[in-house]
Amino acid sequence: MSQFFLQQQKSAELNPFPHVIELACQKIQHIQFNSFALRQSSRLQIFYINEGRFEWIINGKAFTLYPGDTAVILPQQEFGSDKSFLDLGIISWIALAPLQFTVAGDLSLGTWSGLPKNETRSIGKLLSLNQVSVLSKLEAAGHILQCMQKEMAEQEIGYTVRVNQLIDELLITIVRHLTRQNNLQRDFPQSFMQLEQSLRSNLDHQWLVEEMAVMVGLGTTAFTEKVKNYTGFSPLHYLINIRIAEAIKLLKNSSKQVTDIALETGFYSSQHFSTTFKKLTGYTPRQFRTNNSKKI
Amino acid sequence: MDCIITIDIGTSAVRIFAFEMNGTAIGFAKGSYPTFHTEPIYSEQDPEQVFITVLYVLKNFLTEKINAKKYKVAAICFSAAMHSVLPVDKNGVPLGNAITWADNRGKQEADDLKKLPMAKTIYDATGTPIHPMSPLIKIAWIKRHDKERFSKTDKFIAIKNYIIQQLTGECVIDYSLASATGLFNIHKLQWDDDALAYAGISADKLPAAVPVFYSSLQLRREYQVSLGLPKKTKIIIGASDGCMATLGAGVWGEGKATITIEQSGAVRVAGNKVIRDSKQRFFNYLLTEGYYVSGGPTNNGGVIFEWFAKQFGVFNEAYGIDDSIHRLIKDAMQAPPGSDGLLFLPYLLGERAPLWNANARGAYFGINIKHEQKHFIRATLEGILYEIYSIGKILEEHRAFSTLSINGSFAAYPLWAQIIADMFGKPVSVNNSYDSIGTGALLLSQTEMGLYRNLEDAAKTVSLQASYEPNKNDHQVYMRYFSVFEKLSHKLKDEFEEIALLQNV
Repeated sequence: MSQFFLQQQKSAELNPFPHVIELACQKIQHIQFNSFALRQSSRLQIFYINEGRFEWIINGKAFTLYPGDTAVILPQQEFGSDKSFLDLGIISWIALAPLQFTVAGDLSLGTWSGLPKNETRSIGKLLSLNQVSVLSKLEAAGHILQCMQKEMAEQEIGYTVRVNQLIDELLITIVRHLTRQNNLQRDFPQSFMQLEQSLRSNLDHQWLVEEMAVMVGLGTTAFTEKVKNYTGFSPLHYLINIRIAEAIKLLKNSSKQVTDIALETGFYSSQHFSTTFKKLTGYTPRQFRTNNSKKI
Repeated sequence: MDCIITIDIGTSAVRIFAFEMNGTAIGFAKGSYPTFHTEPIYSEQDPEQVFITVLYVLKNFLTEKINAKKYKVAAICFSAAMHSVLPVDKNGVPLGNAITWADNRGKQEADDLKKLPMAKTIYDATGTPIHPMSPLIKIAWIKRHDKERFSKTDKFIAIKNYIIQQLTGECVIDYSLASATGLFNIHKLQWDDDALAYAGISADKLPAAVPVFYSSLQLRREYQVSLGLPKKTKIIIGASDGCMATLGAGVWGEGKATITIEQSGAVRVAGNKVIRDSKQRFFNYLLTEGYYVSGGPTNNGGVIFEWFAKQFGVFNEAYGIDDSIHRLIKDAMQAPPGSDGLLFLPYLLGERAPLWNANARGAYFGINIKHEQKHFIRATLEGILYEIYSIGKILEEHRAFSTLSINGSFAAYPLWAQIIADMFGKPVSVNNSYDSIGTGALLLSQTEMGLYRNLEDAAKTVSLQASYEPNKNDHQVYMRYFSVFEKLSHKLKDEFEEIALLQNV
């Protein structure tokens, strides 16, 4: 594999790709002190280990990476080595600047990407919730990076489209691998419990079925069917159960305003909350609160 | 046309059935709720989520299957999982989550009580084995370790009581569910003074106990409206799930036993006398006044075979565990009964009856160079059923039975049913009804409404199908290996302790 290093604003090759900050393949032959200290990443970075053994710290956790491993570093995560230098070996990487990637996982890539908005959102949510930084034995990622480099070097007809497609392909490959690695695709109740926990701790997020499905490693149709079978509810109705149950607790045990409770538990307005609540329980939230604050 | 609705608030889901008055099934719906394990030995549920799930499923079910088809609800009858504890304050508001039967936080409190002479008196009076599952033990734990919650608690109720209280405003507990709290004197039908003393509470901290036929409950007006049910809809409090399943299996009187295998399992008999086991291995729960369901529960039922499938099964599609289990059962048939001498102790989750040892662990024993994968599959299955047999065998020392009925999703596999017949050396029949808990609640409702003279007559109407006859040769094979299985289970007691300590569970 040939070495190269492209950097936005320094390499003209990247002019058609303003969202690609770096694309590189480097053979590290000498230890360079202070070249790789721990610092906060500002990009979405994906590293692939071609050769060697690397000891990195990503997001507070220490990893040893071997050939075939892929590291995913999200914006605002700390990344580097506590030795402050790169170990010897060969690595490839790409650094991307998404239009937006918040700590909460709100991801939007930009018009260059062919991924639909809702799927991009799901990818962002999954990456930020899982906080899994290293995917072991993901040779496919290395292969995609290699193709990208080849496209860049040769600039054959259609290469700009192809490179962007390859970036999408890289993200899809990583996310699919991640969900499989997480869930092992065997224990649905266990995967579902993990999803439950994510739903609960992000109750005010406007969850999409696509986002939930990707977290247990299934397509939306298979996911919806599986959840219906397992819980008796569609995914969104199951989510409403959790929202109402949490809202009931807040109505009973706190003096918070109904509007605040509505927003906190993920309803988009107090009107929406009241209607849903009354349809199910026969009480408006306010009636329910009055009814339950005196001795039964 | 009139109909009867049964609502079972189970361990992981609510199951609702509707029947015409003559017992013809109309429809079914279920909705599940999660169990939280904030500590490995904790097992909790959110009472509000259980309630909202019950309400949601009931509402949809009534709208789609009942009201839309012009059925009129004549009665609603409840059953529920045993042993849950939910502390509520003076306004009836839950103080945190409910603690379910599977919670083991009270291990120390149970061990402490077992050492006292009063343990036997309490067990004899209440019918509930001294074990962390028992609400008696859980309340003692809360008093000792969660003083703030204890002091705020106005009443310790069960999840079932909470749901009924939400729907009707009335907080009462039926004799059946009360009899599984370890606090209720099953002979005198009142809270037991010794048990209350050990738990550290007075009787007014518990709901009033009422007969299982109690029906002076009325839906709150708001729910009458939102559910579309008339004011006079009869609400029958009902019994525990175990007692309902036994009634629904048609087990009444001498000579019959029933085996349930879901995730966990149980062997049960019923009669008008309690079983007095000197080693306190069996429960005696009230089905109704003067009538007891006795038996032993195992932790290690279908959940163990599922564990095996997850580790070693073939998965052709994501989460395809059912398919994987089918294949394994097919493969198990390729090995002969007795698995050529490969034995499996299924105690992966510790064990209740008959060992009552939370530190028991699993083992494969007798492996030789000729054993293949199919032997391991069959041995796993046989190990689970040897354990069921071991409960039945000791139970039979107290109460003879000549026929067995089986129910539950795992027992329904023909291979499992046949092995049970062969091990016990008795004919086994499969329950005709899809769900014996629902059937039990139906029979109880029909009796309350005067369609049967009593529960005995009602139980007689349960029909059974597909009898599996025992094979004599296979019976002998199983009995030879069972003798080793039984000895191992006891012999390894010290090693179970040692390994459990090392595993730090």
